[in-house]
Amino acid sequence: MAKLSILLVEDNPLAQKVMQTELKGHAVDAAANPAAAAANMRKKRYDLVFLDLDLGAKDALAGLRLIAPAAAAGAYTVIMSGHDDEEIVSRAYELGCHDFYSKGSETESVAQVLTRFDRHRALPEEEQVFTNRFITQDTPTRTAISEALKFAASDLPILILGPSGTGKTMLARVLHERSGREGAFIAVNCAAYQEDLLEAELFGYRKGAFTGADGSRSGRLLEADGGTLFLDEIGSMSLAMQTKLLKAIEEKVFYPLGSDKPEGSSFRVISATLEDLPALVRAGKLRFDFFQRIHGLTVTLRPLRERPDDVLPLLAHFMRAGGRRVTFADDAKARLRAHAWPGNVRELKRLVELLAAGAEGMVTAATLGRYLGEARAKAPVAEEDPALTESQYRKAVAQGLSAAVDAMEDAAIARCLAENGGKKTKALKTLKISTRLLYESLARRGKEG
Amino acid sequence: MDEEALCKLVHDVNSKCASLTSAAALLKGASEAERAEFLKLMRDQARSLFETLENARR
Repeated sequence: MAKLSILLVEDNPLAQKVMQTELKGHAVDAAANPAAAAANMRKKRYDLVFLDLDLGAKDALAGLRLIAPAAAAGAYTVIMSGHDDEEIVSRAYELGCHDFYSKGSETESVAQVLTRFDRHRALPEEEQVFTNRFITQDTPTRTAISEALKFAASDLPILILGPSGTGKTMLARVLHERSGREGAFIAVNCAAYQEDLLEAELFGYRKGAFTGADGSRSGRLLEADGGTLFLDEIGSMSLAMQTKLLKAIEEKVFYPLGSDKPEGSSFRVISATLEDLPALVRAGKLRFDFFQRIHGLTVTLRPLRERPDDVLPLLAHFMRAGGRRVTFADDAKARLRAHAWPGNVRELKRLVELLAAGAEGMVTAATLGRYLGEARAKAPVAEEDPALTESQYRKAVAQGLSAAVDAMEDAAIARCLAENGGKKTKALKTLKISTRLLYESLARRGKEG
Repeated sequence: MDEEALCKLVHDVNSKCASLTSAAALLKGASEAERAEFLKLMRDQARSLFETLENARR
């Protein structure tokens, strides 16, 4: 293997010495803290970065914060841990780390990590995404992602569609990493905030702008300057907020709450939703010009149940990522492939965590049943739930249940009217609703009443 | 000892033992000078592990 340029981020002197010995023959720089590591990465380009997640007792997440810059700089990023905290390892992979090395493991060696790096390096750039970030053999999904990757370095806004847990945030992050933008990747879940709070979150505020604004805070728009603003659940944004955001996107200027001084920010917008945005436009819930502005390219991620061939490779990937070894009997594999995965890849990750913690020996279909049930319970309510989708639930929390139910009624009625040439009698019959409900909805939308 | 302190203890012991295990495996192929350096670092690590356990016992 050719001499590699390696950054070793490790604060324990013995662990550092062990790794330096294992990596003999390569050019290894060592950093004992996040600041020194960041300084090294600014000065030099590394092939590999070995990163101890546990950099001192004061800040348990200091190591995590180095993953994104290392991966964005093109380094094969390996996290190291002597203990496996599934949640942190999972977060590390979401942030773009490529590999995991279990310190003190008798079955895993640094040489194996270097071999995996060599294989990774030999792959075409696009294939690297499918090896480490999006494990999929599904042709429509690969085509959609490949198409999006072609536009990663452009300013084109991208809209990612797909049910909960299919990797929309992951794709947005990959697109940002490959955009060449030096600014940060800023993710905002629009459905997680009430309207006024979302405005403060996005635009920031000055001291005294509203009750409780004891100090000034810069908003996410400013933080995304030179980078990417990822707006998840964009369909839940109010019309008023869409108007303000549209202006900020187009003019690259906005006013924080309580300020008459404009702030400038140039960012690329990537949005995601599981809702039918054209239907929201038809229902008057989404501004047409805002919709036009955010969907330069649309990427659709399919639910896991529609790509059963991905289940076992994904399972193997997450097992390896956490340094776990569990074997499955043939009947268990068949059951995994046939499972509906309502929580999609997120549910599968939960299953791996549960299996890693509790399964012993060969997992059979019989033992798998209990774990599948628990993983389902741990995964968030997904779009496929017939009674309540994730988006609906978040809206109910953000807007209050009554307002959310009204909004759903309005959307259903507007769509039915559109599909039936505006005939109210047809809508009444199709939706089995009262005349009063129909007119109340029309009044809310300002159509009549 | 509360749950949080116990988790931290388990974590610290695991981390320190992991380095000791790896270092012990490297002793065989090490040169004299390297072995001496390893042994010094291993002793420091073992002392640190001892202190961690003593603190937990108090």
